[in-house]
Amino acid sequence: MYPRPIPEEKPALRGLYAGFVGLILILWLLPLLAVMLTASKTADEIMAGKYWTWPEHFNLIENFQSIFQQTNMWGYFINSLIITLPSVLLVLVLSTLTGYVLARYNFRGNALLFSLFVGGNFLPAQIMMIPVRDLMVSVGLYDTYFALIIFHVAFQTGFATLFMRNFIAALPDELFQAARAEGASPWQTMRHVVIPLMRPALAALAILIFTFVWNDYFWAIVLTQSDVVKPVTAGLNNLRGEWTSAWNIVAAATLFVAVPPVLMFFLMQKHFIAGLTMGAVKG
Amino acid sequence: MSHVQLIDVDKYYGGYHALRSVNLSVDKGEFIVMVGPSGCGKSTTLKTIAGLETISSGEIWIDGRNVTREEPGDRGIAMVFQSYALYPHMTVAENMGFGLKMAKRPQAEIDAAVKRAAEILRISDQLDKRPKQLSGGQRQRVAIGRAITRSPEVFLFDEPLSNLDAALRTQMRVELSTLHQQLGSTMIYVTHDQVEAMTMASRIVVFNKGIIEQEGAPLRLYHNPANQFVAGFLGAPRINFVTAKLVSLRDGVAEVALEGAATTVQVPVADVGDLKTKASLTLGIRPESLKIGASIPDAAISFDGKVRLVEQLGRETILYVDGGPLATIGSESGTRNFTIQLGNATGFSAGEQVKLSASTSSLYLFGPDGRTLSRPKPIIASL
Repeated sequence: MYPRPIPEEKPALRGLYAGFVGLILILWLLPLLAVMLTASKTADEIMAGKYWTWPEHFNLIENFQSIFQQTNMWGYFINSLIITLPSVLLVLVLSTLTGYVLARYNFRGNALLFSLFVGGNFLPAQIMMIPVRDLMVSVGLYDTYFALIIFHVAFQTGFATLFMRNFIAALPDELFQAARAEGASPWQTMRHVVIPLMRPALAALAILIFTFVWNDYFWAIVLTQSDVVKPVTAGLNNLRGEWTSAWNIVAAATLFVAVPPVLMFFLMQKHFIAGLTMGAVKG
Repeated sequence: MSHVQLIDVDKYYGGYHALRSVNLSVDKGEFIVMVGPSGCGKSTTLKTIAGLETISSGEIWIDGRNVTREEPGDRGIAMVFQSYALYPHMTVAENMGFGLKMAKRPQAEIDAAVKRAAEILRISDQLDKRPKQLSGGQRQRVAIGRAITRSPEVFLFDEPLSNLDAALRTQMRVELSTLHQQLGSTMIYVTHDQVEAMTMASRIVVFNKGIIEQEGAPLRLYHNPANQFVAGFLGAPRINFVTAKLVSLRDGVAEVALEGAATTVQVPVADVGDLKTKASLTLGIRPESLKIGASIPDAAISFDGKVRLVEQLGRETILYVDGGPLATIGSESGTRNFTIQLGNATGFSAGEQVKLSASTSSLYLFGPDGRTLSRPKPIIASL
């Protein structure tokens, strides 16, 4: 029915290829499987050295209960939300504004400014570790939520601006001319024309930024110290110190931490993929 | 006092001089059509009137106000775009009411304006649809409706029918003319289609390379083009141009020798300036002025040719005739055949030998600078 997009190889070769894909997939998912298995076991079973066996006693529910009763995971989880949600919101607002201006206005230094945003993405974030920590200490924000929020917003806005700028630049020029001819101010144009048309892009970007910020471990340990502000990623590390032998609880906590990004990714998957191609192909 | 006035408008894009001192004055209620080839400055002129393009120097006045520095939304204009430029996420009603909503007018007023515009354009049953559910013609109606709801001083159209198919274009042409009569508003319309220009305009403005070549009523421009460019631009099929040389000039009659012809042709001329003998001229003959057979009493020119191609259009026939040594300066397609338009169906076929002739009064003569030298013709003429 459809034209075949690629020439078909010999069946044996195809079988080999499929087998290879399966092998890589198993290797890739093995750690995740280990975490899931561990999270379902009792501490005694792990102590007995039965790492790769099927759980003799299914203990997942109890393990999850212990996370909330015996550890501070719930507090870390709230901390993560307090850090991640404002960061995502601020990045979206800022990158929509910068993207709109960079895409629609021809001013002196536009190209230079845009290249700075793009170029900033190529810098490894780690080289800024000492300066950023010193900066946060000297402005008195070290070990607060703001330290992480400010850093994540500053760092993610670069990529987000590139993304939004390309997306807005792909909108037809006449749409903006029509809005202008009808007396819409730049602000009204953005609110009534640009933002509604960019909803898929904003959704995709929200997921990306959410995942980046939520999963961040490096900056969490660089910029925070006390348990009151620590996000879940850094908090997980704490569990190990307090509960050296309770790997089943650490594994269960890990699963718990991974839930929000995975959930959001699946919820917005359609937007995510459509948004990415839209920004990439037409930019 | 004219309704829209452009005074010495210049526009540069970097080093490119897009508009060269354009002066244009439009009266209230006129339907002005600006035509010209791509890049001639017609769209740029429209956008400067709209305020979507700034001008390098000059002034623009609309309804007695100097709007040169005003924002498009404050100028009292409404624009209709070639691509319709409808907002895809809004319904038809929301699209049409957008301008009024931005002006923060009460919802009741917006609804009334949208309803009235929808009735005029007969799209009242489409108001809840989104643009992607509409056909091209309906979309263009919505775009026009969006302009109507704002009750502007001046309507600006930027090639609004170019994206429609031929049948729909003819229909929308009639509708736009009707709309103009109904609203009585000033309309400025840009197109590269000379049929739209001829049929809709109360006045045509012909642009070329950033200047206005000529402006005037459609028939006046057709019968009395100021220069070779206008003669070549208006009229379909295109006028036949033949290279010629001036042999003599006496008593208001120029005797010219056509390239590739044995005999000379006499053309009555008006003001010729200081034209020298052997000056390089161009003779123009409209396709409908060329007759077949030897039936013209005052034939100024006649020659033999061979039919190369016949186009039967039903009530008219277009012949492409190879004039042997006598050839036109050629068309875009590269052929140097003469185009002849006959007002009826004929039995001609390719390969046939024919005798062509044209009367003295139907000939145009253009000088070395392209200026028209031949005498003005009566506008309502049965040539």
